[in-house]
Amino acid sequence: MGIAEARAMHPSIDVVEADPEADRRLLESLADWCDRYTPLVALDGENGLFLDITGCAHLFGGEKALLADLMARFFHQGFDVRAGLASTPGTAWAAARFAAGQIIAPGSERNFLSRLPLSALRIDARTKASLESVGLRTVGAIMDGPRAPLVRRFGAELVERLDQALGRLEEAISPRLPVAPLSVERHLADPLSLLDDIERLVGLLAATLKVDLERREEGARALELLLFRVDGVVSRITVGASRPIREPSLVRKLFHERLTALGETIDAGCGFDLVRLSAFSTACFDARQGDLAGEIEDTGEELAIFADRVTARLGEAAILEPAPAASHLPERAAAVVSYAQEEDRKAFAQHGKAKSGATSRPARLERPIRLFRSPEPIEVPLTEVPDGPPQNFRWRRAMHRVARAEGPERIAPEWWREETDAPTRDYYRVEDADGRRYWLYRQGLYGAQAPAPRWFLHGVFA
Amino acid sequence: MATSAVARDVVFALRQKIAKIEGTLPELLVSPSDNRPPAGVLVRRNGVASARDFFLPTGVERLDEALGGGLPKAALTEIHGTETRNAGAAAGLALCLVSLMLKASQKPGALVLWIGTAEIFREAGLPYAAGLDWLFGLAPERLLFAEAPKPADALWIAEEAARIGELAAVIVELRGNPRSLDLTATRRLHRRAQDAGRPVLLLRQSAESEATAAPVRLIASPAPASLRHTVAGPLAGSIGPPAISVEIGKSRTALPGKFILEWNPDAHTLEERRHSPEDRVAVVSPSRSRADPQAAVGTVVAFRPAAEPAPGGEPSGEQYPAHRRPRRAG
Repeated sequence: MGIAEARAMHPSIDVVEADPEADRRLLESLADWCDRYTPLVALDGENGLFLDITGCAHLFGGEKALLADLMARFFHQGFDVRAGLASTPGTAWAAARFAAGQIIAPGSERNFLSRLPLSALRIDARTKASLESVGLRTVGAIMDGPRAPLVRRFGAELVERLDQALGRLEEAISPRLPVAPLSVERHLADPLSLLDDIERLVGLLAATLKVDLERREEGARALELLLFRVDGVVSRITVGASRPIREPSLVRKLFHERLTALGETIDAGCGFDLVRLSAFSTACFDARQGDLAGEIEDTGEELAIFADRVTARLGEAAILEPAPAASHLPERAAAVVSYAQEEDRKAFAQHGKAKSGATSRPARLERPIRLFRSPEPIEVPLTEVPDGPPQNFRWRRAMHRVARAEGPERIAPEWWREETDAPTRDYYRVEDADGRRYWLYRQGLYGAQAPAPRWFLHGVFA
Repeated sequence: MATSAVARDVVFALRQKIAKIEGTLPELLVSPSDNRPPAGVLVRRNGVASARDFFLPTGVERLDEALGGGLPKAALTEIHGTETRNAGAAAGLALCLVSLMLKASQKPGALVLWIGTAEIFREAGLPYAAGLDWLFGLAPERLLFAEAPKPADALWIAEEAARIGELAAVIVELRGNPRSLDLTATRRLHRRAQDAGRPVLLLRQSAESEATAAPVRLIASPAPASLRHTVAGPLAGSIGPPAISVEIGKSRTALPGKFILEWNPDAHTLEERRHSPEDRVAVVSPSRSRADPQAAVGTVVAFRPAAEPAPGGEPSGEQYPAHRRPRRAG
């Protein structure tokens, strides 16, 4: 039926364009919200969700209570939801669509399915149509039939689906998010909305988490805080630690920074009624013996915590560390990487080499004290001789007259790394008339290659 | 004599008390009754008497004198760069001071944290580890950088970093005059530095001088380097060790001063260059008959321009004074 026909029948009809993207986002946010029942939530097509509640039902007072709670909450959020619960995903899928609200007891899948039409089997429309054309209209009709002709005529998928629904074949749902090895949560009768309260609660949850971590002799490297808002919105807040941590005070500090940075972007709305703290990346935690005064020997602990706090607030790239490498290219010789990355690398190097060969230190060459992230192009109107230093250059719209120059120092590209043959660079140390010292280079040679060489300013000297 | 000795003691005690209350100027407190050379007891703000190592001597006599003994170690020090393109000079001065501090502290493995906003790192370049190693002996393992999106974040990092024992020095680099960097902010940084007993250097590029809690403000600008020294003498046309022109903008003693400092990358010391860069050698002899063609572009700093020649191509009197003229025989 076209829109015109529909309008003719119902003049007051409201027409909205289909927006599959928005539908998808809504489904994902619902999946996020369903995290409160189980960490194993998977999307099912465009309009369904699978929840694997194995081992979770008793937390909500049994399967029936869980289902009722889920339905009630969805209803209050304004969704019309149909749910089914069974011991196999296939049967649950069918139950949700053909017998909403029903719980299929283990063992009774066969009885339940045999009455249902073929659409309950999650098979494509063509198979279904051809089955119906030969008079097989219910699941029960094919359930007891001979298998070999069915496979031969309708493909293996039909029998596979049937076996999955009946539990003869194992079917795992693939959760859309990785499952945290450890998580603790608290349901709140009275929703929280103040950030201070959330922080305090994080401290309490972390204290519980610490017990679990201690049992596993591990510390958390990455922590995630899930805030379930009453109206179904879920906020995920993650922090990372450069070393494994498990002290509640530290965890709380990290979340304090993160929450402060997020500030108003967390909309508490009517409050959060479930708060969960999960450690989704853990690492071996070697406990150290403190001395008699209780002071643990200084091993960079304080600095690591400081770095974690800064990265929690300002992002991963807030704390940088130079990573010296054996390379002649200036930007590669002392590139900066994030602190956590460098710590990992150092730890790896220590394990691997056992202190035999420290990272080879680059030769002490005359290098600028500041280097631009990307070399800045400069205009050079005139050079003394074709391959000489410039007499003056224009950088950032100001003309600089070169008083003295040293060089060139030729740095060839690393042909074993780069794909194309990049032009060579001739570096000059120049001083302008006011005494500023710069590091310039000419990319390419005059006359040698087709494109004219370009000049860049790469760094400044003291 | 006994009475006057008592009176002097009273005066001494009172002075000590005043110094404790005011506490700003670390004062040399020597009991007048003993004739020993001053032991050098200094009183700090919170009344804690500390030893001589309150100051870091820069090694430049005149600068130390003008600063009243050197740079205060446990304090905020402001270093101003006049323009963003002079960032090399200002950063160089800060690194000279940090290098001196590390040398004086003798604490192995202490780190240096350099905090900057994303803006200044984009405009003036990131500190380059290989260059710092070459010039100031700061190994890459001892460097940490922090890049903050906004000046307020940079100041927050600096405050947090000032209390960390593993950092020997903290450099905060900001550009311009952000609103978040007011007197209160500098006072907070200064207090943190005092409590921790470690320096915090506030590097301000292209900023106006504002009210600050830092006891010392130095203004750095670039200076032409001297020539490289070789066995055969200065090498013409070469660029020698870094030179920085430093002016005292604020100090406890309020003595003015302008110095050209040179960093010795081998000994890691600061020296003052007294002589103007006259050891520059003129590579080309000046043109005699016509005006210098380069003169229109800028001032020639390498040498004095030749005096104006007299009309008709005659050498001027200044160039050939009469008493140097070969005497005519007969």
